[in-house]
Amino acid sequence: MDRELNLKPETWNLEPETMSNGEVLCEVRGVSHEFTQPNGNPLRVLENINLTVKEHEIIALLGPSGCGKSTILRILAGLIKPTKGEVLYHGDPMPGQNPGAAIVFQGAALYPWMTVTQNIEIVLKAKGLGPSEIAERAPKTIKLVGLAGFEEAYPRELSGGMKQRVGIARALSVNPEILFLDEPFSQIDALTAESLRAEVLDLCGSKDRNPKSVLMVSHDIKEVVFMADRIVVLGANPGVVRTIVEVKLPRPRDYRSPEVLRIVDQLHDIITGSEMPDVPETSAATAAAAAPIAIEPLPDISSSEIVGLLEYLDARGGKEDMYKISADTHTEFGRLLSAVKAAELLEFVDTPKRLVVLEADGQKYVKATMDERKAIWRDQLMKLRIFKEIVELIRRQPNKEVHRDLVLETIVFRMPFENYEKVFDTLVRWGRFGDLLAYEEDSETLWLQQEKP
Amino acid sequence: MKKFFGHIWGNAHAALNLTRGSGFADLLLLGGIAGIVFGLFNFSNEWAAPSSENTLIDLSPWALPKYTFFSLSRGIIAYIFSLLFTLLYGYWAAKDKIAQRVLIPLLDILQSLPVLAFLPVVSITLMNLFKNNKIGLELVVIVMIFTGQAWNMTFSFFHSINSIPIEMREAAAVYRLNWWERFKWMELPYSMMGLVWNSMMSMAGGWFFLMVCESFTLNDKPYSLPGIGAYMAAACALDDPHKRHTAQFWAILAMVLMIVLLDQLLWRPVVVWAQKFRVEEGGAQENATSWFLDFLRRSKILALLEKIFSHNEKPTPLTAADALKPIAQALPSSALPDINKLNIVGKTVSTLVFVFFMGGLVWGGVKLLLLLLQVGGKDWMEIGVGALATFARVMAVTVVGTLWALPAGLAIGLSPKLSRILQPVVQVAASFPAPMLYAVVWLVLKPLGLNTVAMVLMLLGTQWYILFNVIAGAMAIPADLKEMSHSFGVTGWQRFWTLYAPACFPYLVTGWVTAAGGAWNASIVSEYLVIGSATPEKAIGLGRKISEVAGVAGQEPILAASVVVMSAMVVLFNRFVWKRLYDLAETRFSLSK
Repeated sequence: MDRELNLKPETWNLEPETMSNGEVLCEVRGVSHEFTQPNGNPLRVLENINLTVKEHEIIALLGPSGCGKSTILRILAGLIKPTKGEVLYHGDPMPGQNPGAAIVFQGAALYPWMTVTQNIEIVLKAKGLGPSEIAERAPKTIKLVGLAGFEEAYPRELSGGMKQRVGIARALSVNPEILFLDEPFSQIDALTAESLRAEVLDLCGSKDRNPKSVLMVSHDIKEVVFMADRIVVLGANPGVVRTIVEVKLPRPRDYRSPEVLRIVDQLHDIITGSEMPDVPETSAATAAAAAPIAIEPLPDISSSEIVGLLEYLDARGGKEDMYKISADTHTEFGRLLSAVKAAELLEFVDTPKRLVVLEADGQKYVKATMDERKAIWRDQLMKLRIFKEIVELIRRQPNKEVHRDLVLETIVFRMPFENYEKVFDTLVRWGRFGDLLAYEEDSETLWLQQEKP
Repeated sequence: MKKFFGHIWGNAHAALNLTRGSGFADLLLLGGIAGIVFGLFNFSNEWAAPSSENTLIDLSPWALPKYTFFSLSRGIIAYIFSLLFTLLYGYWAAKDKIAQRVLIPLLDILQSLPVLAFLPVVSITLMNLFKNNKIGLELVVIVMIFTGQAWNMTFSFFHSINSIPIEMREAAAVYRLNWWERFKWMELPYSMMGLVWNSMMSMAGGWFFLMVCESFTLNDKPYSLPGIGAYMAAACALDDPHKRHTAQFWAILAMVLMIVLLDQLLWRPVVVWAQKFRVEEGGAQENATSWFLDFLRRSKILALLEKIFSHNEKPTPLTAADALKPIAQALPSSALPDINKLNIVGKTVSTLVFVFFMGGLVWGGVKLLLLLLQVGGKDWMEIGVGALATFARVMAVTVVGTLWALPAGLAIGLSPKLSRILQPVVQVAASFPAPMLYAVVWLVLKPLGLNTVAMVLMLLGTQWYILFNVIAGAMAIPADLKEMSHSFGVTGWQRFWTLYAPACFPYLVTGWVTAAGGAWNASIVSEYLVIGSATPEKAIGLGRKISEVAGVAGQEPILAASVVVMSAMVVLFNRFVWKRLYDLAETRFSLSK
């Protein structure tokens, strides 16, 4: 990485790979992965990932949406074969699927036509267990996760938290070496999630029985500090490992303890620091010379989120700590980062360290009337190269309109690693909001609102 | 009136309740089974009869119970074939992405082919196989009914498998369900609801051509097999109007009874049972009920059988100490089924079958081409004109059907009371084979000439699809949108254009596709009517052309050309019109987003 983090490494528990001495259960080496987009172009989601899962640890993948953390989980589980790189299981190349893995899915992924018991029994049957052992094991796991009494219930009769309990029971029933948790608490209410986190720690805490290790994916900073021994911080577009933070606090951990708060703080800094480096402004000329084709990507953020951020900042005297904003507005930190990035792109705010500061243009925008706002928004958009190019493109057309496909081509050419359809949607949303672009879905044409004859 | 029905039903229920303790349910059940066995015995005798003997249809109403049973058996056997075909073909198409590219377009074409198109190929093969008895002939009829049933079930199954949520599939992979376990625990249950509804539609579709299927001409020789369809065909051929009308009346009555019984004794219970496979969450839906299923559940014999066949041991209650013990240690790795190996076997089989299949297709294609080359310019001309005429009729039928079914469907669907009473009635009406009514309609409308009346005849069978789709659409309009219209005083036409029409549009498109497809098919029977022994009534059209040449020796090239043209028109129209309307409905008028 050519970006320097503006934090001194000594202040974190940055872990050299040699520190832990547990046996390596599974590992990815130099893994990159690309998905094929609908038009056949590749979308790079992971870039040169190196990661090990060792015995007796809870390892968490933390990162904003689009950093490929779920993809890493699926590669380690053997569900996805990476485009490049090696996947090892106990030191050998992994044979198809990971033989020791069980996954707890984000949406539980239970079969709705089967009762709680049946949902668990089928995975035991698939494992080749005999009827008597199934009859013994299934009730045991059900009881283990506190579902006794719900044996004959169908998933549709259960709450989100209860469903997730079945998911956990199903995973534990096959006695896995590694338990994979794919954002398992993100779709259930906060209180239930709290109790489930503690229960998962209890179930996985014992050294003498399976699961030996847990790999979890999360975008919730507090959650990973509460649970994990090692936190792998990922950066997005394409996904890379930014850094690895070791948490050596005893359990049970207290959310309010100074140590926990300190690590939470550090993680915020790492993420803000790496996602928004405070690099000195380069002149436009050198920037253009350095990157002749690449253009700044548009974050997948709606205009109203950006305006909301500006209004919020204005009401707080023009600046606020990023973490505070996330907590105040109940916005997931990764999402907030994208919104701040978008506002910064439009030169409404600046971000010294962890602060978000309303700039002159931003203040002008907040004070303006509706019509003036549109004009300011338009001016800011026209400072972005992608908008300049699209506007030029439209002006060059004889009938002053372009088809969506042509714009998509431009985006693919200019931002080869972006999801071009998402970029297009953002382009249209921002353009419409500034009364700059008009788009008709039926004919898929785009024109300039002010200049269409 | 209401009181009257309540009285009757109340009594009926009371009678059923009485049976609870005294074992009447079992007695009735045994009686029913004995009846079915006796009927099947008769049916198998019929199969074993020598093929030379042409069946004379007995037109006395007392022969009808037997004929109805025979027709029903054929329909059910054909349905079993359809189901097997669906599972095999749909599964194959869903799993093998290369084969899929051929299988799905082929299914599209098969769906567009009229029943008579299959007759020559099927009959030559089967009747040569079984020369000495009627099995061959019976199988021809069954396969013809099958061709009216199978395709939409297969499409439904294929789409269901493809739309299984990704997490569910990943769970199956992670927990190493092998292909069979995936099929029986995930793919089949997930497809169940769609399969059940499409099975009902398919059975109805299979009856539509019952008359054509049970009495047809092959190489200038007429064939008929005992059944309601043949009974009706024989009735229509009677010269004495009085006798003709009586026999037609009995046939229609028998058909209605059969459809109602099938609905009550088979489909209702199946629908109720299939509710456990609902995928969507939320339990506020109204649960369908079936008195027959309740009745069966009361039977002691069935309960006993269930006990014998399900070896589900009740889990032994655990003590708290047991539960806290660690789960048994790691399993031997040999217990893990090797999924990859099976995949290789499956792939090899799939590839081999596919190669054979493609070979067959190419061979068939060449044969067809050679056949088409024999068709002269004049015949092509006639076929073209006929195709345009039939196309115009199909469009007219769709428009006219919409004009009456849209307001009627809205009226029914928007009123909970009406929809509760009329929806099942419409469903039964839709599964009644309209061609059985053609003779009656023709009697009344004869002065208009068949060119016009053919449209009425086509409408008779296909309007129901539009109607019940609109009813479903109207019932699905969200309450908040209706309240909005109400509170802002949007009424009359304005409300129709701003709310009802757009909200029903996706359903309407589904109705149109089914109705238009049905109308093309119906053109075969409605553009060429046989009444009495007089020369058949004919209208200009492609359907008439097919009816005329089907089964006539030496006319195979013209039959092939007509069928190819019809299939091409249906497929192209699907691609370029219906598909676009579907997309429009999904993007712009979908209420689920």
